[in-house]
Amino acid sequence: METAVNEGKRVRRGRAYSLEKLERRAGLLFALPALVGFLLFVFVPMLCVLLLSLYKVDLMTYTFEFKGFGFYDKMLGDPDFWKSVRNTLTYMAIYVPLTLLLGLGMALVLNGKMRARGVVRTFFIIPYITTYVATLVVWNVFLHPTEGPVNSLLMSLGVERPPQYMVDKHWALPMLALIGSWKDVGYHCILFLAALQGVSKDYYEAAEIDGAGRLQRFKHITFPLISPTSFFLLLITIIGGLQAFYQMALLTKGGPAFSTTTMTYHIYRSAFEFYNFSYASAVGMFLFLLTLVLIAVNWFAQKKWVFYQ
Amino acid sequence: MPLGSNVRYTVRSVVYLLVGLVFITPLLWMISTSLKFEHQVFERPFVFIHWDAVNWNNYSHVLTGTDFPVWLWNSVIVVIVSVVFRLLLSALGGYAFGFLKFRYSDGIFFAFLAAMFIPYQLTLLPQFISFRFIGLLDSHWALILPNIVDVLSIFLMRQFFLSFPKELVHAAYLEGSGVFRSFVRVALPLAATPLLTLGLLSFFMIWDQYFQPLIFLHSKELYTIPIGLQSFQTQFGKQYAMQMALACLAIIPVLGVFLALQKRFVESIVSSGLKG
Repeated sequence: METAVNEGKRVRRGRAYSLEKLERRAGLLFALPALVGFLLFVFVPMLCVLLLSLYKVDLMTYTFEFKGFGFYDKMLGDPDFWKSVRNTLTYMAIYVPLTLLLGLGMALVLNGKMRARGVVRTFFIIPYITTYVATLVVWNVFLHPTEGPVNSLLMSLGVERPPQYMVDKHWALPMLALIGSWKDVGYHCILFLAALQGVSKDYYEAAEIDGAGRLQRFKHITFPLISPTSFFLLLITIIGGLQAFYQMALLTKGGPAFSTTTMTYHIYRSAFEFYNFSYASAVGMFLFLLTLVLIAVNWFAQKKWVFYQ
Repeated sequence: MPLGSNVRYTVRSVVYLLVGLVFITPLLWMISTSLKFEHQVFERPFVFIHWDAVNWNNYSHVLTGTDFPVWLWNSVIVVIVSVVFRLLLSALGGYAFGFLKFRYSDGIFFAFLAAMFIPYQLTLLPQFISFRFIGLLDSHWALILPNIVDVLSIFLMRQFFLSFPKELVHAAYLEGSGVFRSFVRVALPLAATPLLTLGLLSFFMIWDQYFQPLIFLHSKELYTIPIGLQSFQTQFGKQYAMQMALACLAIIPVLGVFLALQKRFVESIVSSGLKG
């Protein structure tokens, strides 16, 4: 009897031990496709970009020639590169705050008392889910400088010289940022709305008893409680702004007069129009570095304003 | 509710509805224009739809006289194959990193996460060169293969399996199932919801991809919808009504999926966004 129990214990313990080992082994096997895929399509390419930026590559013979930091030198001395950096930052200066504020505003509207909430919400999300290239084809005609519906409306309202949008070097980049916000804001709206709905009504009731006004309630209750979502969306928007590419490729081709050549478009042109992959890789490494710096700055700054419950 | 506030409430709702309509004006204009003749595109005064003379020819021409059906087919193939493999890889990987664990699995996973900050335009450069070298350029595999590995997808599945009840799997072990069998029998069916979420999000993302086909493809018969649209725009720059019909047809599949699964889609974004 006693031996049987002991044996049972031993068997169970033995099994538990081998089970853990078995799971670990199986775990490695289960992760293998993901690991191989990651190595092949993320890690190795990333190493290659680093090497590409240091070597001159001949695409006909696949031969490489070491250049050290030559391409980085070339990049830092290239006025076109600095213009592309400035364009990216200008794009972000419009796109990031606009998308966040608009998304929050739309979510506040949807969170209030209203009829036909579902319909309005659908309208707000539709640009986000529709095929981007298709909407850009539409914007291209919609903002046609002489005949498009926007300018014919402006002219019929008595505006004599309406903006020329994509062909005006002062208007093109802000318009592209505006279109980018229009496209992405539905996502922000959904996430802000979910965060707003997660704020308990009790807080507002208590604040009302204390006589807090609307603005005060927003500042002291809503804003801190949705700040983790705001922070997440800020990071997403920064990354999205740095990587914007579709509008430039489809609407302006980086012009007029280089005014919409952002860093991503500069990379694309250098690699696939001039076949200078090494220079493109150097610019790409700089973009990656810029991403990391902006993320890191915000990561440390979040302590000042993000409130975790 | 007193009458005054009821009126105000309705007025406010109508205003919001109008704001929503203004927001999608370009898309409404697209529908309107796609049903017009070319000479009516910039007509004044503007008419939303000429009910007595709706021009369906743009649609019939796009469907029969252009490569649109081919692009649609290519997009469907690329999206389905990519999503299926992505789900498979993410489910296995998520189970490994979230539930089974192995030596250094947490550390390796952290490296995965860091990769989310790499601009996708960057990894495409060496991918282009290596695909060119092994002869995968100008094939659908060039689009599909990089899509299979998606860090965010693996991350989401890992989050799901982190809190997966151990008892369920151990019960399966006691009944004699091995690790793989209990994964297929117990874990996978219960992961149906996150997998569907992931599939839906991936569908929208991959359907939208434009940069990859732009650099990887040059045969017209391989084009997916986004790149096909662009080639049509450069070729028939002045045929605006036709372009709008094409844009409309490109949007219909995604809009259909979205409207059919709207509630689920919104939940998907919320669950993947907030935990991400």
